[in-house]
Amino acid sequence: MNAQQDQKVTIGSLIALAFAVVFFSGLLQTNEWYGVFDFTTLNGGFGKVAASVADGAEGIRTAMSDFRGKGGSGAKDGFIFALTLVPTVMFAMGMIEVLQHFGALEAARKLLTPLLRPLLGISGDSGLAMIASLQSTDAGSSMTRGLIDEGKMTKEEGDVFTMFQFSAGAMIVNFFSSGAVLFTLMAADGTTPAVPASIGLCVAVMFVTKIFGANLMRIYLKVTSRKTTETEMTVAGGEA
Amino acid sequence: MSAENAKPMITDIFVTGARKGWTIATTSTIPNVMMAFIIIKALMITGALAGIGKVFAPIMGLVGLPGEAAAVLMSAMMSMGGAVGVVMGLYEGGILGGEHIAILAPAIYLMGSIVQYMGRILGVVGTEGRLIPPMFVICIINAFVAMFIMNILV
Repeated sequence: MNAQQDQKVTIGSLIALAFAVVFFSGLLQTNEWYGVFDFTTLNGGFGKVAASVADGAEGIRTAMSDFRGKGGSGAKDGFIFALTLVPTVMFAMGMIEVLQHFGALEAARKLLTPLLRPLLGISGDSGLAMIASLQSTDAGSSMTRGLIDEGKMTKEEGDVFTMFQFSAGAMIVNFFSSGAVLFTLMAADGTTPAVPASIGLCVAVMFVTKIFGANLMRIYLKVTSRKTTETEMTVAGGEA
Repeated sequence: MSAENAKPMITDIFVTGARKGWTIATTSTIPNVMMAFIIIKALMITGALAGIGKVFAPIMGLVGLPGEAAAVLMSAMMSMGGAVGVVMGLYEGGILGGEHIAILAPAIYLMGSIVQYMGRILGVVGTEGRLIPPMFVICIINAFVAMFIMNILV
């Protein structure tokens, strides 16, 4: 039962977790020196290339765009656009690997474990599976299966926990490997970010909503099991 | 070699992660985004995008989005990366603005890839068939709750 508690949570891992929160929160997004602690700032931007040159009344004017160019469409534009996403994905995954090495996720597990019963009504034993499920759907689901098979979780707890994983599965890896890119968009003026929210805010909203959804499942299970016992009939799930 | 493995350099750890990122980018992001752009192009040529925009305008309007944002959520159910591609396409077409993207971002993931995850999560755990439809519905509810919250916050 305590096999998962073996990995020690140290001050270092708490610092790593705190760093992760600040790094992806966007709080330090700036051109000052402390921008070094911000993901978006370090992620930087592509250089510009000349998109068009026009000879006007005020002399020659050059319009700039990024290397993707302007006016593309379809598969070819999709491919070249997807290439612009690659550095963000690689940078985000590299940072997550480092933060994980320093125990950020272990610290998160330690902090979450006592909250599992009050928040989701599931056993604290599932802390490790929960953290794993934030990174890999396959790891999360197979560990959940293991917990149910070993009897550490009842079937109902398993259903609630599965619901938690099913909405925004592998939240961290998926979000950082595609969604993070949205926050690199620049507004028309080319200097201010287009999206008025931070990566950290989105991750927090997703996490809270995942817990909300799992609790809807908890309520659904309670209601349908009561119906089943009252009427001795199987309730068709399709009604929802 | 083994000594290196015992205490890896932080730079090596970063590079290992970046390499994972490269694998994700080349095997998942690029094909999915490319597919999304082809779908958008097809929807635009046929006029289906405008149709989606009209049909879903009342529902999406509740969370401060134009009707076309429904196309993002529909593609999210197939692929999260593809949905991000659709967002980008609509952003450039001037249909979605920065605030719309902020509202959509968490929702894309909350109802993201659920078609795939039916096998990879529900199949693996062995979830009862009767619970699958409610789980889909809850994912969609989650997405709308998140859009509602983001609409207030941004």
